[in-house]
Amino acid sequence: MISREVCARVLAKAVSTGADYAEIFAEYTVNHAITMISDKVDSVNDGVIAGAGIRVFKGLRSVSASTVDTSEAGLLRCAEKAADALGQGTAAISVNLRERLFGDIHPVKIVPSTVANAEKVAVLKEGYFAAKEYSDCIKQVTGTLLDVDHNILIASTDGVYAQDRQIRTRITVSAVAEKNGEAQTGFFGPGRRMGMEMFEHEVNAHDVGIKAAEQAVIMAGAGYCPAGVMPVAIGNGFGGVIFHEACGHSLEASSVAYGLSQFAGKLGQQIANPKVTAIDDGTIPNAWGSINIDDEGTPAQKKILIENGVLKTYMVDKFNGRRMGMESTGSARRQNYSYTTTSRMTNTFIAEGPDSNDDIIASMEYGLFAKSMGGGSVNPATGEFNFAVNEGYLVRNGKICEPVRGASLVGKGSDVIMDIDMVGKQLDLGTGMCGASSGSIPTTVGEPLIRVSKITVGGR
Amino acid sequence: MMNFNEFKRLVIDSAESLGIKDYELYYATSESTDVGTFKHEINEFSSSVDGGVCFRCLINGKMGYASTELLSAEEAERIVKSAAENAATLESEEEQFLVAGGQEYKTVEKKEYALPETAELVKTALDVDAALYAADPLVIDGSQGGAGVYTNRVAIYNSKGLDLSCENSSAYYLAAAVVSKDGEMSDSYEMQLGSLKDADIAKTVKKAVDDAKAMLNADVAPTGAYPVVFAPRAMSSLLAVYSSVFSSENAQKGLSRLSGREGEKIASDIVTITDDPFYKDSALPMSFDAEGSPTYTKNVVEKGVLKTLLYNLKTANVAGVKTTGNASKGGYSAAVGIRPFTFYIAPGSLSEEELFKKAGKGVYITELGGLHAGANAVSGDFSLQSSGFMIEDGKKTDKAVKSFTVAGNFYSLLNQITALSDTVEKPRSGGSTAFLSPTVLVEGLTVAGK
Repeated sequence: MISREVCARVLAKAVSTGADYAEIFAEYTVNHAITMISDKVDSVNDGVIAGAGIRVFKGLRSVSASTVDTSEAGLLRCAEKAADALGQGTAAISVNLRERLFGDIHPVKIVPSTVANAEKVAVLKEGYFAAKEYSDCIKQVTGTLLDVDHNILIASTDGVYAQDRQIRTRITVSAVAEKNGEAQTGFFGPGRRMGMEMFEHEVNAHDVGIKAAEQAVIMAGAGYCPAGVMPVAIGNGFGGVIFHEACGHSLEASSVAYGLSQFAGKLGQQIANPKVTAIDDGTIPNAWGSINIDDEGTPAQKKILIENGVLKTYMVDKFNGRRMGMESTGSARRQNYSYTTTSRMTNTFIAEGPDSNDDIIASMEYGLFAKSMGGGSVNPATGEFNFAVNEGYLVRNGKICEPVRGASLVGKGSDVIMDIDMVGKQLDLGTGMCGASSGSIPTTVGEPLIRVSKITVGGR
Repeated sequence: MMNFNEFKRLVIDSAESLGIKDYELYYATSESTDVGTFKHEINEFSSSVDGGVCFRCLINGKMGYASTELLSAEEAERIVKSAAENAATLESEEEQFLVAGGQEYKTVEKKEYALPETAELVKTALDVDAALYAADPLVIDGSQGGAGVYTNRVAIYNSKGLDLSCENSSAYYLAAAVVSKDGEMSDSYEMQLGSLKDADIAKTVKKAVDDAKAMLNADVAPTGAYPVVFAPRAMSSLLAVYSSVFSSENAQKGLSRLSGREGEKIASDIVTITDDPFYKDSALPMSFDAEGSPTYTKNVVEKGVLKTLLYNLKTANVAGVKTTGNASKGGYSAAVGIRPFTFYIAPGSLSEEELFKKAGKGVYITELGGLHAGANAVSGDFSLQSSGFMIEDGKKTDKAVKSFTVAGNFYSLLNQITALSDTVEKPRSGGSTAFLSPTVLVEGLTVAGK
């Protein structure tokens, strides 16, 4: 990629009008995706993303510029554009880059870009046909095998000169089941920060297909979820999206630094039920949302966000950290060079608690067991969030009863996080993509089975 | 770094040396400059350039794709080789096509205006910022003025003589209002596309601030089945999510319930839905689609009857009809799919007040949230986070409600529409796809709140 000497010259240009910080983020990414539908390989997406983003700060002002031209001349032009936009002034800092080597805590054994299409198709077909052949009710299946080889280089006037190679692999299967003229869907899509060895011991493609098909078939036979306020037990794994939406986004510096968070100014305060301990950990080996360094070159960290209900820290990037008087927590992330970095989550989950799954379900006289969750969203300022239930069951007299479909859960983050009053013992993680101002990035959500004592269930 | 024409030459050479006869190059770039304020200062400025080239080729009837952002000699060779390899991996048997050159395209009429320089963007953003704070004492820090300008370019070149390009630029400004009272925050934002010279900043800011204030200390709506009146913004966002059910690709793959229903009644008599690539206020009117076919205006639903689905060349061939010129690409590197242009529910003749009167007692929904999660395009089921106002005694009240859901099924909803207002809105999208709706009264939906 770009040499230390070139980076130093580009950074010197970037700070030439008086910036107190400048940074280059350059990338070379190979995306690959094979999609199947109607029992056939339908498309192969194969692309290279390459470019660079340059940011300069002066106090609390930030300027960013991006370019697809990563030659020295192209980078210098981009740096000049950023420097000019910052205004008039003269350079006050000298650039001295020191190469930093970070141990790779996410080793990759089989680099996907070196694996032939045919081999990937074989894995995809295993998952695809497991779903298709699961039941006569399964009318359509879509399956995708995708891999990303994301090479990044970050150089900044802090002296950082660091590179990382982030390889990710994911399989997704979506199944459609029909019963009585109505169609319902099921989905499962695990991924890891690893290569094709993911299919050797971490993820069984066949099981992925079965899981998606099973969900579609169960839901196709289900009645509508009733509406109203009730206790809800949310299953482990992707169920952790409740924390991601209801609380996680409101702990990102991108909202906290501007006061646009229900949790701004609440460090050290009890913001959640004492049963809740929540962690953002970018260092989990080979997890989907893991990084070695963030997109500003800061090493990944494990942060306890909330400990026994007390707010311990936020997720902070360098720019927003200036406004908050806080150091970066290794949380700066961006989809690619053309987005402006901001603070984001990595692998974020509610830690194990003391309650058994049986006790949690038994505690509910009438409520909903949300076994599998879909995506959601939140407004961090007001805390209002929503997320969809992909597979739900009614609970009566402490027993899991019939499946119900078509529900979403809504509420206010600061309320619901207080109402998580039971936390189970088996933590599991789920794979997702999170969209925000700096683009779509891989994140993990997670939790054990939890109970929310009351929440609005959007049924009908 | 080489330019597109130099790169194109190398790709053509590379394709011909491999004996590839049918191929296409699709090139898209976008440039943008955006500024935003915080506490009366410009705190963020960004200038971004991105885009790339997609090469696709027909080999043994299969269309292989490969793309790149790096315009180099090595990449010119790689994408041709990769596309050919990818074609060999494909199994689907639907016939694939490239558009021949020499077709007639309608002329696009656009209002041209001089694009603002950075200084004008900065001034507009600061003016909006000042207007926000001046609008109301409840406005707090975190409110933001913003402005920007962008230029998108698309070019399609193929081995059958097609050589098309278009360029589109627009400016915009936005007002994001945050208000606070008794420790509770509420926010709202408005964006306006078009020349900054015509900007009515005071009006835009007032709307954002008023909408944010109206939601302060909103209550949770009571659970029940009510008539629901959807504001244009809410209904157009629902239409956007469910526009995929009008795709012939989805219908042919069993992912839309409208499969095989062309010519049948699928909605109330009063519902007409039109797709117009030349919509007068569109930010990006298009005379050709992503395959290079000419575009035209059509009613997809007319007086409740499904007249046509949306087609590209491949799906039209499967159905034995002509393409409707709705081929699309979700980004330069994506495979050709299907999407509408300006897709709108035609306005009716009633005023909004008359809709409230017809509803009697119900809920007026001004905003829907979580559409990417709470709306399932295959089943049609939706359960969506909502906010708005109660309707009582045939009038919209100032009782704001939020944190509740509205649930139903889109396919049923089309038949549950009982009245449409005469409201005509301007597209809020900066791209070629936009969704519009009047205010719509729907009977028989369920509201879940407290």
